[in-house]
Parts: sequence; C-alpha cells; structure tokens
Amino acid sequence: MKTLSCDVLVVGGGSAGVAAALAAARQGAATVLIEQASQLGGMGSQALVHTFCGLYHPKVELGPQWLNPGIPTEIGEELLRLTGQAGPDLMGRYYVLRSHPAVWAALAARLVAAEPHLRCVTHAPLQQVRRETGQWQVLIHERGAPVDVQARALIDCSGDATVARLFAPELAETTAGQHLYRPAMVAVFPGVAEPLTDERRMELIAHVARAVKSGRVPAAAQAATFRSSPCSDEVFVSLDLEAGGEAWDPAREDQLQAAWATAQAAIQGLVTYLRAAHPLFQAMGECRWPDRLGIRESARWRGDYVLTGGDLISCRRFPDEVALAGWPLEMRETARGPKFRHFEHAEPAGIPLRSLQLSALPGLFFAGRCLSADHEALASVRVMGTCLATGQAAGVAAASLA
Amino acid sequence: MPAPRVSAQSILDLLISEQILETDLPLEPNTDLFSQGLDSVAMMTLILQIEDRFGIALAPTEMKREAFATAGSLALFLNGKLAA
Repeated sequence: MKTLSCDVLVVGGGSAGVAAALAAARQGAATVLIEQASQLGGMGSQALVHTFCGLYHPKVELGPQWLNPGIPTEIGEELLRLTGQAGPDLMGRYYVLRSHPAVWAALAARLVAAEPHLRCVTHAPLQQVRRETGQWQVLIHERGAPVDVQARALIDCSGDATVARLFAPELAETTAGQHLYRPAMVAVFPGVAEPLTDERRMELIAHVARAVKSGRVPAAAQAATFRSSPCSDEVFVSLDLEAGGEAWDPAREDQLQAAWATAQAAIQGLVTYLRAAHPLFQAMGECRWPDRLGIRESARWRGDYVLTGGDLISCRRFPDEVALAGWPLEMRETARGPKFRHFEHAEPAGIPLRSLQLSALPGLFFAGRCLSADHEALASVRVMGTCLATGQAAGVAAASLA
Repeated sequence: MPAPRVSAQSILDLLISEQILETDLPLEPNTDLFSQGLDSVAMMTLILQIEDRFGIALAPTEMKREAFATAGSLALFLNGKLAA
C-alpha cells in the first residue's frame, strides 16, 4: 500500500482547507491536502456558491478594507483581478466579493500547485483516522486505491467534522433538524443577453411571482434569487430549500436526493418559463447544475472554546484571537429568506485559537464551517471569507508543531 | 373621492405580520424599506402578499424602485393603480 508521510495533513479542499494547506506549506511544513472531489474549492466551486462574504471590514464608511491579512487578502485580490472587477459590491450593509466558481477553482489549483512543500491529492475521500505513538494515521482512498498518510498534525476542514465522525464522534455537535440552516441549490443560466441590474432584478421578481401564482412554475421557485456573473454572460440562480423542515439531515443520502429533486424541478420550471416569457432569457443555453447542494450547516467540533453568537454580536475580542469575523449572523433556518442579526457595532469580532483546537487531542485542528462554535455563531463564521481566515490560522498553528 | 383602499399602515402591518422585514426600529410610513432589509426574497413575498391581500397583481414593467422605497410611496403607487 502506498504511504505518505508529512508534517501537516489537511482534510478538505474548500476555502478553509486551501487556506490551511497554503499557510502550512508556506511555513515550511511538509503538507498534504486531501479532497474527495475532483477539484478544489468546496462550496465555492462544487456547489457554485459565487459570493465571498466576510472578506471586508464591516464598517462600510471606510470603503472596502480587507479584514484578514495574508491569504484571505491575497485570494480576494486575485479573485478581483481574475474577474475584472475593481472592488466588491455593497449588498445590503456589507461588502461582498462576487466571484465565479470556475475562476475560484482554477485559482485554488494554481496556488496549491505553486507550493513546493504542498502535495494535493484529489478524488480521495477519508476512510479512517487513528492515532499511534503521537502521530495521526489516516487512510484515504485515492481513486479507489488505499493510501496511508502519517502526519504530526491534522486539520479538519471537511465542513462536516468528518474527522470527528471517524475518530471521536462524541466530540461532534449538531443542531436539531428544524433549526439546521437550510441547504441551497445554485445553478448557472448561460447565454443571458445582458447583466441583471437592480431594476431588471425587480422585474424578474414580478415575472417569477406571476409564474408561481399561475402555477406555471413550482411554488418552491418563489425563493429563487438571481445574480449576474461578474465576468461572463451567465446568471447564477440560487434557491434555498425547505428540505423537509425538521427532518433535514445533510448526512442522509435520501434527504440529499429529495432536496436535489425538488430544487432541480423548481429551477427547470424557471428555465422553461423564462425562456418563453422573458426577452433576456429567450436565447439562454442549457442550465448548468452544481456537483453538490450548498450545505450551510451539518456537524462541527466541540473544541477548547465554543464561540457563541453573543460573542460575535458584542464584537468580543480575545487575547488568543487568530482570525476576525466581519459577517453578521445570517440565519437561514427557513427557505423564506435570511434573518440577519448584526453585530452591535460595525467592528469585527475575534475568533480565538481555542475554537480551532482541542487540548485533549494535541496536533488536531479544525477550521471553516466545522470549527468550535454554536449554531448562531456558525451563521457568521461559515462564510467563505471567514473560512479562508480560520483555515490560514489553523495552518499556521499546525505548522508550528512540525 | 373614495377612501384609498391601501394605507401605508396596512403595508407596514403586512411587512411585520408576514415577517417580510424584521427590525427593532419602529417602522414609519417614510422609513426606507431597502435599508431595513427589503431584499429580493422579501420583495417576492411582499408582492405575492399584495396580490393576496389587496387583489393587486403587479406587472414586471411596474416594478420601480421608487414605488417600493417606503410604505407611503408603495401605498400611493398601489392606490394609483386601483384608481386607474
């Protein structure tokens, strides 16, 4: 059996994992990044999520200010350059960087490939996690073939606390089904004649409302929102899903299938309707589907400190903070739109290192959506901009053990 | 002239009762709705509710930002449609 040995093993190649792997490798640690899908980027490529939130300082009167130095700023700047944008959009009260899934996936791949101390293994789901004589022993299947990876430090950036599930399930937390943040499907409508201005988006809302009222598209399509790509003639259509309400469990294949089917029917209904009824869409190409549903919440670690919604809202800072959160609590417990709970001040909140580690398990770190936070805090720290920051922090911490 | 069918207050009541906007501030007829969270999803719910409650269906060409800026402007706009 093939074996690999490294200083730092990063599980999951989404925004957090890419940042963690780059950070560790740039510190000189021999780093391996594993990703189960065929490409890097996580939700930002696999699920076609096309906005990076949490990259900017929340005080918008300052103009766009990068919030977390290092890799989040580097990636933010590259995304702007590659999509031909001068800066972010102001969406509601916050700056948001409009991205493109293919651009992010390519950027992640390029940055990772450029690091001499970093080896990336794709098509490699995690199978087993053990601990032996102070080292992590991890079994992966690379395109079906078993590979043993030995690492001094392990960073769980799986989004679903997969390492916990395999190694220490009692350390994983989840949320009751009815409160679990709803999944979404994002699809791409290519060949849309012109970009969607605010005015056009309002017209589109009325169109879709009529289509829903007259039964020409499924009622689930009511939750659809539209946003133009910054760098192509494509429109991203996002649809939040009720996904069975309190029965929703993203770990269950049957649930994922059911949510997928509902979403696809609703979006396909929109395609048919808009092609017939709306001049901007009449010549659109075939709708492009994501590889995965967008998952906003699944399971997370319980670390040395559980970051709370209250911490974030009060803009609490910590002596051991390693990243800054600048996105409000965007709570999507239903498909009827987000409920925002804003920080008390237009200032960032700190994320402590203790939320990325567990002293009982030395050499283990977690970052991104599955870090140690309560359900409310997750509504803020799950966004990709913040994941880049917590990933970077975990990567630096893990490398320091090498 | 007959009494207007849609009042600014009835719009505000609708925004709160249907949880279209959630805000700590007391909503006034001249509160800017966009700054209080009237985004795409809220707008969709609002116009579907307007149709249910007041029987007014809005055509895509009628969807002007100025009309939706405040509860007052929206009431004015809707009453204008009713009078026409």
